[in-house]
Amino acid sequence: MLKAAGCLCILVGCIGWGGNKIRDEKRRIRNMQELIRIIRRIQNEIDYGKHTLPEICLILSEYSREPFRECFKSIYERTGRQDDVCLEQIWMQETIRCMQTAYLQDEEQEILINLPQNLGLQEGKHQAESIGQSMDLLIRKCRQAEEAYENKARMIFSLSILTGVFLVILLL
Amino acid sequence: MRQEEVLHMFPQEMRRRWEQVAGQADCLQEIRLRVNVPATVWIDNREWFVDAEGKLTNRWPEEGACRPEELDAILKHLCQYSVYAYADEIRQGFLTIQGGHRVGLSGQVVMEEGNRIRNLKYIRYLNIRIAHEIKGVADRLLPYLYDERGQALNTLLISPPGCGKTTMLRDIIRHLSNGTVYGNGMNVSVVDERSEIAGSYLGIAQNDVGIRTDVLDGCPKQEGMMLVIRAMSPQVLAVDELGNEGDIRALQVASGCGCKLIATIHGASLADVRNKKYMCNIIADRLFERYLVLTRKNGRCEIEGIYDREGMRC
Repeated sequence: MLKAAGCLCILVGCIGWGGNKIRDEKRRIRNMQELIRIIRRIQNEIDYGKHTLPEICLILSEYSREPFRECFKSIYERTGRQDDVCLEQIWMQETIRCMQTAYLQDEEQEILINLPQNLGLQEGKHQAESIGQSMDLLIRKCRQAEEAYENKARMIFSLSILTGVFLVILLL
Repeated sequence: MRQEEVLHMFPQEMRRRWEQVAGQADCLQEIRLRVNVPATVWIDNREWFVDAEGKLTNRWPEEGACRPEELDAILKHLCQYSVYAYADEIRQGFLTIQGGHRVGLSGQVVMEEGNRIRNLKYIRYLNIRIAHEIKGVADRLLPYLYDERGQALNTLLISPPGCGKTTMLRDIIRHLSNGTVYGNGMNVSVVDERSEIAGSYLGIAQNDVGIRTDVLDGCPKQEGMMLVIRAMSPQVLAVDELGNEGDIRALQVASGCGCKLIATIHGASLADVRNKKYMCNIIADRLFERYLVLTRKNGRCEIEGIYDREGMRC
């Protein structure tokens, strides 16, 4: 009886681990989609709205979803206080903090973290285009992840069951 | 508060150097930054140099010249790292920052087709003009701004640069909007092309322009005047620095719509303004019922004279 319960626990644990990995991948795709939405919004606000970066952060603090919402709110508040370090540094600090709770890979994280490095152009249209340069990479990665998701999820799920079964056999 | 405003014009790493200048914020008129020479400031009509430690001195300091990268950092900071948002203003050679302070810019001009300025690069000369909101500066003028029925009179403020035109205009707007013993409060629309009157930030006026005032910020005067007449139906329309025939035409239309007008123009005297090609007709037509001439005497800004529509001293 105890052995059966132990086997069941191992199996459930392994399936749970697999499910968690699948959810992480789903969250990564959601984070990427959100990041694409955010960058598109930034481009529009620069090109059309001619908003400054702190103003864009205020807009995004209402428009975006977690974990980015809190990050933009924080950037806006810190720049408003004016007794802090420069905006570039504030942006870097806050986005790095935000990425700790995001499910993005390093390359995807850097797109947002390094965004202020692309600033400095005088014309809104060109500035928006310059910010959008990294969008292609992000869109490609997001599409790949979306396409691979079903198969990947199936694979992880199968692998987690197999691992569970293997562990049960090993312990028995 | 103003002291902090001055300090916050500079990036954090430079603020220590500007503490002494910021301490003089109430009397501070101008900060001039030029590449490879020490910064100069105008405090109470006197010029001072700022040395490497940030001390004010009346002698040319050996150290403390502004480096190009410092000027770039200051400009970037003033633009909130969003130079594109100020492109139109930079093209005109200035930008208005939070608090209504105006920063004049000079550098190398990039031209585009049609002999138009596309942008400015290598911005190496900055002139930060500190805006001062002085409430009550127009108190003396109030009896001259209303007719016997308590209606505002079409008024033109005339003064050379730096004599407090905009400060005076702002206080007049505040009085007309809030109401005074001479007349009830009126709906005032301000077309604030350079954000100097209301000093709007995120669409909110930073200066007190009265409780019945609507501000159209950053809009060219000509288009702005037509827009507010259609949209806000103001009783009084206020604009700063009339500068061309288009502005005058828009003023005439506004007057025809029943709006009272308060405007300013650069000029040393009423005669000087009359000599401007685009102004002679409007003065001959007696559109303005009051002319207020401001001047600078012994370094102080004073009211030189108040004139009626005929040009006679009141």
